Amino acid sequence: MTAFALLTARTLRRGRLDLVFAVVVPILGLVGLTFLLRDVIATGRMSYPQYVLPAMVVQAMLFGALTTTDRAAWDKISGISARMRTLPISPYTPLMARMAYCLIRGGLALTASFFGAYLFGFRITSGFGYASAFVLMALTLTLALSLGADATGNKAGRTEVASQLLLVPQVLLVMLSTGLAPVDAFPEWLHPFVTYQPVSQIIETLRGFTVGQIETGNVVTSLAWCIGMLVVFGILAVRIQGRRS
Amino acid sequence: MIEVVNLAKTFGKGVPALSNVSFSVPTGAVCALLGHNGAGKTTTVNILSTLLKPSSGTALVAGYDVATDPVRVRQNIGVTGQDAALDLRLTGRENLVFFGRLRGLRRSEARSRAEELIQQFDMAHAADRQVSGYSGGMRRRIDIAVSLVVPPKVLFLDEPTTGLDPRSRRDVWNLVASMAAQDITVLLTTQYLEEADILSDSIVILNHGQIVASGTSDELKRQTGSSYCQMTVLNPEDLPRIALALADFEEVEVDADTGSVSVPAPRGVTTLSEVFRRMDELDVELLDISLRRPSLDEVFLHLTNPVQS
Repeated sequence: MTAFALLTARTLRRGRLDLVFAVVVPILGLVGLTFLLRDVIATGRMSYPQYVLPAMVVQAMLFGALTTTDRAAWDKISGISARMRTLPISPYTPLMARMAYCLIRGGLALTASFFGAYLFGFRITSGFGYASAFVLMALTLTLALSLGADATGNKAGRTEVASQLLLVPQVLLVMLSTGLAPVDAFPEWLHPFVTYQPVSQIIETLRGFTVGQIETGNVVTSLAWCIGMLVVFGILAVRIQGRRS
Repeated sequence: MIEVVNLAKTFGKGVPALSNVSFSVPTGAVCALLGHNGAGKTTTVNILSTLLKPSSGTALVAGYDVATDPVRVRQNIGVTGQDAALDLRLTGRENLVFFGRLRGLRRSEARSRAEELIQQFDMAHAADRQVSGYSGGMRRRIDIAVSLVVPPKVLFLDEPTTGLDPRSRRDVWNLVASMAAQDITVLLTTQYLEEADILSDSIVILNHGQIVASGTSDELKRQTGSSYCQMTVLNPEDLPRIALALADFEEVEVDADTGSVSVPAPRGVTTLSEVFRRMDELDVELLDISLRRPSLDEVFLHLTNPVQS
């Protein structure tokens, strides 16, 4: 087994509980929101589970990425990071293993979300191509944010604080998006923010993928966010991981 | 096996953390880097173990340049840092197997090597418990064992006994002594002079990032002069009388706090018996009288802070 596989396996073993959460939370979210809001929020011809699924997925991808902060910080403060650097393995292997974990976590959360929503009548009516695009964008999003979280944790080397702090804006961004309710449900003065903030844009794109109706401008915006963050955070994370001052 | 020439390290634009450091350690020898906190010991170890790049100078470890060939260096070293770098949620044995496999051993090889080390380090009773429940001494031992899963040519031990109780410290000392028998070159750092004295073939004393002295323990002791005759009196009121009686010795040091007096003893036992005879004449009651060579502590203080000593 290679160092990469070994380190990924170790991260998975350590993250057993987190992986259970990754599966359970989106399902609970879907169930809760559907029962609470399906008769409250008008989503047009689309059923509420169909409407809200992309929001649940994005929420899961954001949260999964945040947990990376703690893993990176823990590796650093436990001294394991330093010891790895004195081993004859690539200094980037631990970073790659943490990212592999995030993608696996994201994959599990996606599968669980689809499965849960399916029971409530959610369907992908757009075919295999759109479904793949959905999965790919969701995973790109979680990978990009994980890289940012990794850079933060690896640099700060402190657990607890960072991921907790980032939790607030993350929840706010999802709440104040068109993920849970259409823009008309928000007060007028919030409309510009709710419509154009990245979480809304990405959720709209994902929702479009599920039914096969996409708007070019919106897709380009979402792609720009995902790929832009991937590049910027990727460079940051790689530089911090590879640094040998 | 370790060859350091004019090594220097400056962090940012600050004060140099290391400057002009040169020393060498032959194969199978134990060298101690001795110094206070902040003297540059850990920086030196971090450079030699490829965690930091030197600002200038060269360092060869196991024959490879740490700056240009870090991968080869890493293949030949084991490193145990100040804090145990272990997976606390794994058992001692699992840590050994995990790091063995990271170093490229197959599963079966890693397992049998782990068992070997557990026997060698006398840890059979604790090997299958989680490391998080280990005492400091046990953690340090398993940490050193992890550095040896693939026997390195050079072993770095950064303050291997800091924070350990006397017995665990002695365990670590025995381990270090056994390294030399396996032809492993050891570079350790310590703040304890006694430790450097006992463990190492050569000592490098660092202060403010520079070498202030180096050599064997005996050589260093010789640098600060000859032996002393030291005595402790029962009754401190006798001290002035004693000082007067010994006034013909060159340097009489009287310490009223501890009730002790010391004089240089260049002629060793002859001087001692002369001092003893005079005390007898004065009818002073002594608690203790002994001949002693300067301790490494005195050497250390003398070299790092000549004004005070």
